[in-house]
Formats: sequence, C-alpha cells, structure tokens
Amino acid sequence: MEKVKLGGLKQSLELCQFDLTGSSNLSENMVSKISALLASQKINIELVTYNLKRNKNQQLTLCISQDTCVKVSKLLGKDGCLPAGWGVHCREHVGVLTVFPHHSAMKILGLVIASWTSQSIPIYGIATSLSTISFITDYHRVDMGIKAIQNSFQLPDNHAPIKPELLYYQSDRVKKRER
Amino acid sequence: METIAIYWEPRIKTYGFQRFSDLALIEFSCLLHEIQSLGDILSHDALHVVEPKFIMAQESNHEISFTFCLPAKEEKGFHASLGKSLSPNSLRCVSPVGIIFFYGPHFGDRYGIADATFSSLSKAGITVIASGCSSSSVYVVVIQGDMDKAEEALTQTFEVAK
Repeated sequence: MEKVKLGGLKQSLELCQFDLTGSSNLSENMVSKISALLASQKINIELVTYNLKRNKNQQLTLCISQDTCVKVSKLLGKDGCLPAGWGVHCREHVGVLTVFPHHSAMKILGLVIASWTSQSIPIYGIATSLSTISFITDYHRVDMGIKAIQNSFQLPDNHAPIKPELLYYQSDRVKKRER
Repeated sequence: METIAIYWEPRIKTYGFQRFSDLALIEFSCLLHEIQSLGDILSHDALHVVEPKFIMAQESNHEISFTFCLPAKEEKGFHASLGKSLSPNSLRCVSPVGIIFFYGPHFGDRYGIADATFSSLSKAGITVIASGCSSSSVYVVVIQGDMDKAEEALTQTFEVAK
C-alpha cells in the first residue's frame, strides 16, 4: 500500500508543559491573565492551547522552555495567581514534534495517533495550523516518535528532521561587543 | 558564530489576518487507552472528505479531549463516524463559530505574542472559545457573530506588514 506523503518534520528543544484547569468564570479571563504574567517576565510560550470545555471548565495548556520551569512554577504557585478551585499540573521534559502535511490532515493525524499509541508513545497535546500538526510527547521519546513516523509515511529523499540550532534570547538592551 | 535577532516594534507585525466562517466546533473526550481506536477512525478513508480548519487536543485526568473546527455542513457525517465507537454523550457541538488566524516572524520564538492576542480580545469583551498557538501561528475560535469585532481588536494591536 502506498504510504501517505509528508513534507517534513521539526522537533523542539526540551520543554515543560503546564496544564491549568478550573471552572469557567468568564469574568476572570485566565488565558489573558496567564499570558500577560509570562510576558511580563519575558517568558516565551512555545505552544498554547486553550479550551472552554463542555463541562463548564477551562483548560489552558502551555509549553515553555524547560530552563524556565522552576520560575514559572513559582509564579503560578504564588498566592492569588490562580482563582480558588483552579489547579496546575506540571509535566517536565516534554518535546513538540511538528509534521508538515501536504494534504489529508485528518488521515495524517489518525495515522500518527495510531502508530504512536501502538508503540506506547504518549500524546499530551495536539495543535494544528494551516500547514502543520504539532504533537506534545515525552522529550526522551521524540526520536522514537520520529522513527515511527518515518516508518509510516513517505518523506522526501534524504529527509532529516529539522532541529533547532538557534536559541533566542530577548532582552531590553543589547550590549555592544568590543571588537 | 552568534546570531542576535532583535525586534523593535511599536506594534507587533503580522502577515495579515485570515478567517474561516460557518464552522462547527465539535469537542469530545476519550480515555487515553481508547485513543488508538480514535486514530484508526480518523485515518479511515470515509473521513477524507472532512476538512477541519483547526484541531487541538488536551490531556487531563487520564482523558484526552479533542476539538475539531470543521465546515458546518460536514458536522453530521463526522458525528456519525465518531458515534460508531465513541459514546454520543461525550460530544459537544457549538455552531456557528469562526476562526481568525494569523502568523508572523518568529512568533513561536519570542514572548508577548499570546499576551498581545488575548489581552486585546479580552479588552474588547470577546469570549475566546478555543485557541491554539503553534509554529508561528495563532488560531482563535470565537462565536461567528464576534468575528468582526475580534478582527478589529486584533488589527489595533498588530500591524499588518505591507
């Protein structure tokens, strides 16, 4: 049987996932509050999903750099940061694997789910864009996930997953270097 | 070699706002151990005609909840395919909804993009039903009637690059 074509793969650096869940009090917009809190600390959120769920709860899932995990845990754990009844679950050492579909996003999603779960590779979250599907899994299982995808799909010749080579640091000022 | 990229933007630049309207948001949950059968259903040929505009999934308490935004006309067929193996009472549908999505340079690599998005929508009194920000893209799902107001609020915050 002909394999489904994929355009490529991209993997993230090591990340930490926070799942914030609580009741849906719309007067307190948690997605806005938490994203403002992290921006004030110059912390980038690499992946966000937010949902007003059917059971009247909200869930906000954030993936941030593993390096900032302790800092974010402290921020979220401060008194008054989250409303009463809200909980935070922190999952350290996760990674995001992004696939670039040519077409058939639904089929690709189904095939990745089926191939990963058959090899006990967990999926902690998914988000799509116009040309990508991103999967959150354990960082130490990303290579296994890549292999499973390489076995299930047809990728371009000489394909190698894109790995991040640049680290982005943001500061208010840039020091001029002595030459 | 070291590369330093700096963004000095009075307003964050985006490549423009795009919209999908007349969509249905379908949400359902399944137990983590059931996810493989869901993968089988989604990869089945019968669902090839379904073209979701946005998909997200979140894990919580040994369950994973999926949210699909797809053209409202595809809702019934999708329901029927899922209903074969998932409990119907685990389904929720909100319709009509719309999506506004946009992307910009290094959106996934720098802080403040999510804040700019959600703060501007919150100040404009827009309820975000679902959202996903990944790979330099921001997707916001709102009630269809709120789409114009939401785009207006985002346009005031972000600058469309010419």
